[in-house]
Parts: sequence; C-alpha cells; structure tokens
Amino acid sequence: MNNIIKLTIDGKSIQAKEGQNLVDVAKENKIHIPTLCYFKELNPLGTCRICTVKLNGKHTTGCTVKVSEGMNIEVNTPELLDNRKAIIEMLYAEGNHFCPTCEKSGNCDMQNHAYEMGLTVTRYPHVFSDKMVDFTPNRMIMESNRCILCKRCVEEVKSPDGKNVFSFVQRGVKTRVHIDYAQEAKLSEEEALHAMNICPVGAILIKGIAHEQPFGHRKYDFLGKDVIPSLKNGKAKKEDHEKFIVATTSLAGCFGCHMSLLDIDTDLLDMLEIVEFNKSPLTDIKKFSKRCHVGLIEGGCANAENVHVLREFRKKCDILIGFGECAIMGGIPAMRNFVPLQECLEESYLNGVTSEIGADIIPAHEDIPKLLNNVYPCNEVVKIDYYIPGCPPNAEHIWKVVKSILLGKEFSITHDEFKYD
Amino acid sequence: MSQKLVIDPVTRVEGHGKVTVHLDENNKVTDAKFHIVEFRGFERFIQGHPYWEAPVMVQRLCGICPVSHHLAAAKAIDQIVGIEPEDLSLPAQKIRKLLHFGQVFQSHALHFFYLASPDLLFGAESDPLKRNVVGVAMEYPELAKKGILMRKFGQEIIKLVAGKRIHGISTTPGGVHRRISAKERAYFLDDQEIPSIDTMIKWSVEIIEFMKTYHITNKKFLDSFAKYPSGHLGLVNKKNGFLELYDGVLRATDSKGNITLDDVSNDDYNQYFYEAVEKWSYLKFPYLKHLGKEKGWNRVGPLARINICDGIETPLAEQERLDFKAITNGNINNMTMYTHWARLIEVLYCAEMMKKLLEDDDILSNDLTRKGKRRNEGIGIIEAPRGTLIHHYEVDDKDRITRCNLIVSTTHNNEPMNQAVRWVANNVLDGQAKITEGMMNQVEVAIRAYDPCLSCATHAMGQMPLELQLFDHYGNVIDKKIKH
Repeated sequence: MNNIIKLTIDGKSIQAKEGQNLVDVAKENKIHIPTLCYFKELNPLGTCRICTVKLNGKHTTGCTVKVSEGMNIEVNTPELLDNRKAIIEMLYAEGNHFCPTCEKSGNCDMQNHAYEMGLTVTRYPHVFSDKMVDFTPNRMIMESNRCILCKRCVEEVKSPDGKNVFSFVQRGVKTRVHIDYAQEAKLSEEEALHAMNICPVGAILIKGIAHEQPFGHRKYDFLGKDVIPSLKNGKAKKEDHEKFIVATTSLAGCFGCHMSLLDIDTDLLDMLEIVEFNKSPLTDIKKFSKRCHVGLIEGGCANAENVHVLREFRKKCDILIGFGECAIMGGIPAMRNFVPLQECLEESYLNGVTSEIGADIIPAHEDIPKLLNNVYPCNEVVKIDYYIPGCPPNAEHIWKVVKSILLGKEFSITHDEFKYD
Repeated sequence: MSQKLVIDPVTRVEGHGKVTVHLDENNKVTDAKFHIVEFRGFERFIQGHPYWEAPVMVQRLCGICPVSHHLAAAKAIDQIVGIEPEDLSLPAQKIRKLLHFGQVFQSHALHFFYLASPDLLFGAESDPLKRNVVGVAMEYPELAKKGILMRKFGQEIIKLVAGKRIHGISTTPGGVHRRISAKERAYFLDDQEIPSIDTMIKWSVEIIEFMKTYHITNKKFLDSFAKYPSGHLGLVNKKNGFLELYDGVLRATDSKGNITLDDVSNDDYNQYFYEAVEKWSYLKFPYLKHLGKEKGWNRVGPLARINICDGIETPLAEQERLDFKAITNGNINNMTMYTHWARLIEVLYCAEMMKKLLEDDDILSNDLTRKGKRRNEGIGIIEAPRGTLIHHYEVDDKDRITRCNLIVSTTHNNEPMNQAVRWVANNVLDGQAKITEGMMNQVEVAIRAYDPCLSCATHAMGQMPLELQLFDHYGNVIDKKIKH
C-alpha cells in the first residue's frame, strides 16, 4: 500500500503514496479541492459532490478517489469550476438558506464555499420547500429545510453506547435526517455542541445558542478570498459633458439597501459629480424621463405592482443590478412562501391579539394591489445582469460595482465587503 | 360629474402609499383616503421559528429603523428567558440604550436634512426639480455636509454596538453579546477621525436655532397647516414621567391634555388596544378600546412624546422643551407641522444622552447577560423614531414561536395621516377646478410630517414621487399631473 506512485493533477506531475486520498494529495501539492461532506478522519462519503473532479476524463467525486499509478486528474478547469459552483447553487436553491437570520451565518462551511466561488445568485429557481423542523428534543433542533444531507452527523455522532444519534429516514426527495431522541439525550453538552459544529450548514441547532459571536469574530469572517466578478459589458456610452444616469427602486424590500447606498456618507457628494439620478426615491422623477445606463433594484416581487415596476425598469435601463438578498433570493419576505397567503392574511387581520372581537374584514380593494401567492426573486421575473449580495450589501461594494460597470473597469470585491450576512 | 383623484404612489418605500380623493359634480370633496398598499405577513410566517431568531428576523421589517425592531423584539425575548428590563445588567442596559439613541439620532437627522429641509429651504412652492436632497447639496453644501455627518455619527454608533450600520446584531436573550472597548469609544470622543459627540450637540443646537428662525417668518403656515385635534400616545419614564425612548410606561392624553391612558404597564397593552381593519388599506387602525374607534386613535412620534412627557433629563433639551411648550402656553400642541421642531428637540436629547453613555465606564464592562425563569410570553414596547412600537410573542415549551403580534409606529399614525390628507383635501383641493403641482405637494407635506415608515425609505431619500390623476366617474383619466 505504501508504494510511491506518479499521477498528474492539472498537468502537474506528482508523486504520492498509493491509496492516499486524492483531496489530501492535492492539498499537499497546494491544489485546493473544495469539500463539504469530507470531514477529517471520517470515511469519505461522496454525498455532496462539490469536490467533483475529472479522473481520466470522467466526472467523479475527488474525496472518494484513492490515488494510483498513472491517474490523470483535472481539478481547476473552467468547466469543473463551474460544475462545482452549480452544485452549491443547487443546494442554495433547493433548501431554505436565509443567511441573514441563520444562527450559523459566518460559521457555515457551505456559505464560505459560496463566498470563495463568488456566488451571487443561483441559476436555478428557488424551490422554497417546507420540510419538517423538529423541536422535539429538549436541547436540539433539526431544521431539515437547511439540511444538505451530507451525512456528516450520521457518520460522526455516536451516543456513549456507540449507537447512531442521527439517521436518514424516508427516501428520494423526502429523505431527511432524523434524531433518535433517546440517544440524543445521552450526549454530553460538549458532544451536542460538537454535532452543531460539524454540521456544515445551520441544520443542527442547540437551543438558545444564536448570534453570540459579533460580526468580525465569526469563523469565516476573514478567511475567504477576494472575488473578481466578470464584466460582461464595456464602458457605458455617453457624451463627455453628460453624467451617467442611474435609476433605483425598492420593491418588496425594507429599504435597507437604499439606506446602504447613502452609507458612503460624504463620498456621495463626489458621486453626484459623475452620476445623475433619474427615476428614484432620491428624486421627484416618477416616470423615466430618459433611458438609464444602470437600474438598481431592491426587493423581490410580492404583488402585481412590483412586477409591473420591475418590467418597466428592464425596458428602460441598459443594465439591471439586483442588490440585496430580497432581490436575489426573495429574502425574508419570501418566508411567507411556506404558508398559504390566506393564512397570512387571516393571522394579521382576523386572529391577532389586538384584533376586534368578531373581526371579519381582510383588505381587498380596487385601490390596493393584488398580492402574489408567492414572493419571487427578481431574476425569476426579468433578466438581471449583475447581483450584489448582502442584507444589505456593503456600501463600498454597491458603489464599486456601479462605478466599475459605468466606467468599464475591472474590479474585485474584498472578502470583507462580500457577505450574505 | 363626480370625480376621483388618485395620487399613486405617494411613496416607493415599504410598499407604496396612495391617496384617493372623491369629488362630487361641484368639485366638492366627498371623501379622501390614504391607502397603504403592501402586506408582508410576518405575524404568521415567524411562527415555527425558534424565539431567539425574532430580533434578527423582525428587524428586516425596516431598513431605516432596524435597531428599533431589534430592541423591541429583544425586550420581548428577555421576558421569555425571565428577564424584565430592570433585571438586565447595567452595562447591557446602557449598551442597548446607546445603540437606540444612535438609531433615533441618525433616523431623525436623515428625515430632517434629506427630506424636510428641501421644503423649508426652498419653500413648498419652489421648483420641484431642485426641491430634493441633491438640490440642498448643491446650494447649501455646508448644511448638507453637516446633515450627512450627523447621520454618519448615528450610523457609526450603531456599527460600534451592532457590528453593522444596517441589520446588525447586538442583543442575545437577556443581554448583549459584546462590550465596548476604550479604543472604540475614543473614536467618538476625540474629534480626530470624525466630528466628536460635542460637535454633534453643537450642531443639534444650531439646527433648532434654524427652526426657531424659520418659525418667526412662517408662523402662520406652521400654525394652521394640517392642524386637527387628536390623542397623543407614547412611553414616559416610570418614576418621573420624563421623556423615555427605551423603556417606560404607556401614557396617552386627548387633544386637550386629559389623561386617557394612565401610565399603563407594557404587559397590559392588549387590554387597552384594538386594531380596526378597513377594506381599502393593508395597514390597520389601532385605537383605545375604552374610547372607541371614532375617538380612541392617537398620534405617536416626536410631537406626541414632547406633548405627554413631564420633562427631559438632559439640560439643553429640557430648555428647548420649555421653549416649545411656551408656544402653546403649556397646553397640548395639535399642530402637525410642529412635529419637525419636536423631532429636533429629540435629536438634541439623543446627542446629550449619547455623550453621557459614552463617558460611562459601565459600557466597558464584561457583565453582559442575565437569565431568569423561563416564560411562554414576552412583550417588548419601545419608542422608535416614529413612535410607539409594540412586539408581542408567545412560545411553546419547545422554544417555538406560536403567536406574534406587531403594532408598528406608523400603524398608530394611520388615522392621523388620513386626517392630514382629509385636511388638505378639504382646505386645498375642495372646489378647485384645476389641480396644480403646488396642491399636490401639499398632500406630500402633510404626510411627510409624520415621517411615515411606509415611506421609511422615501423620507430618507428626499421628495416623494407623486402622480396625480383625475378620473371621471367612469374611471377614465381626464387630467394627469406628474411631478418631476
């Protein structure tokens, strides 16, 4: 087993011990293969597939490959980089990963991979699934909507009797991780905490532990790489004496993104030297009075009016930028997608603590817009050209993107600026 | 021929607001309504989430005053872990208050400089192209810069305590998650990188002086515009009845100053309030049960707070309060436009309080959290920049939220804003053959005085874009004015 063999990774000739794990061999040679389910001394699981590589021209999971003589491995080709990003995007679209309110945000392995890959949006429509959230144990919560079925907890966490605490139940798309309540109760505090920590997302929670680490003190706050987005368009065209024209709007958002626009403080005065606002809450311009170079969209679509405004922006702006979690993922307003709209309305207007006795009115009138059954991210309604993630996005990030797009300059976003929060 | 005037949207924030005015064949106003056209459903979809997520989730109601929601929810969650406001450690109380004063300071500065000042500096009838924050920056660069730096100061305080300027996190159940370091605090005191807290106090006094000068020349307008009698509601200090923003008891008076809610404990709020629902607005209409829907509605926010409190604990703001009360001979002020002035007195109060807290060594302490006996219900009430904000949660034994009730500040102001719109309709639009841009702007001016959170955004960004359409009774557009 300890024979020294030769293989190539991305064209580089490498020596390794026969049977060694490919991910470890690559790491020793400073080639990074991202992993999620592969965890320390656990037997490789190959469940998450973000370590996908090509072995002699065929796709396979890197963490399950034991190296042998003559292997030809591809890791960092454009195609494979995109494959891996697509897998992370799929996980984001399939589960309910609302980073801004998640207990694990900043300490989440999956979020960190997304940062490293510069993921700003998913190419797949969001499923907004409504899976079981199990509050039964006294100490633990299993949030299946966030679980990516990596199996780490199933393999790693055992009760003092050596029995499984977590196991897969049901099959196919219904598969979920179930907690064995009796075994869970036998875990020490430390072991329970370990279960929460090895979960690469926010599926396993210890009750009462939430948001205790301030921003800047979380595990991945400073570990990531800077992101260099690709610019699709050249410089915005205008006459020298003219200013760049920008329009903005807030759909189903909280206006926090617009507030962040103002958070460059006095630099805003400099920005006004080169930028002119057209239709925007910043001005009195209600209807587009001219074509705009850039349109900034905050918020997703929750009612018919939002859809109408978004389509109008698409028609009147050369480049549309979705900024903030809500425009890109639906955000907090999209949490109502798991509940029938009628139930939301009844809870607010009929069954509230301070509802009038015998209340029977739910608002519905020609002068208020019709609500959509679901809240939709903007890119599921019109084509969006750029995305600025965050809740809200960092002010420097927003203006860096806008300015670089207008001037046609390359730019990079520092890890500090690039956050889902 | 009867007509319907439509102003849509009044604002592009937190959903849109919209005004409709109905006229009869003689152009007499028969009805005027202010519609809030957005619905979120937080009360339902938060159910099933663990209770400690509430302060982080619910602050996303609003990007202008997220801190208020964060703190109101945190106070409710404190009760769930058995902690009353006075049980919090002193450092945690002070750090939370510092956060809250930073928030009110930035929000008020934003409203005054970015929204209200264009109307005051240029006049309500001036060129609408110039009448916005960009216009102020061009013509009054020094004033604009001070406004930006005051907002920045408040935002930086928020970032200090909560880690981010918008949607930061500070609270944990029963406390806060970090202390302030001496070095961090020096940033606000030493006048090096940013203007110091002393400069903030100085500028706050200056802007009140500006308001007083404005008052001398525009008294008639301020006294009469959108004036109507109303109740006034807010928190006051439990012990002495003074102005209180973080924690107190509920007090309300009628338009003449008679007490209608007598320093009621937060925990009893639901015995006193009902919320009515109308078909034509997604925003509810709260009122005091014992007075009924017609008489029980109240204004909330700066004017109400200055009206109902017995004093202010900081010396400069207290002197300003006395000057303000002298205008109405100590009586309740029901003049809508004086809300701007009251707001500036609170700006000064917040600046003085921030200084006091920044200089207090308790904020450097590590004694940050407390735990008590677990309960299944929590109520948190706070004075947000725009008024009384109520959060109420019920949780089951497994820590799951089972019920939630939120009465946000602007909800209390729903009827007052409708009254203000009706005032403009009856006094400005009534009997007019043609609608001018100036008339439209007056509708905005009336609504804007409330700094409504539905226009949380708009009030922040400047003028509200307005479109006014004139319909015949078949719904055909016969006239249209767009302000731009």
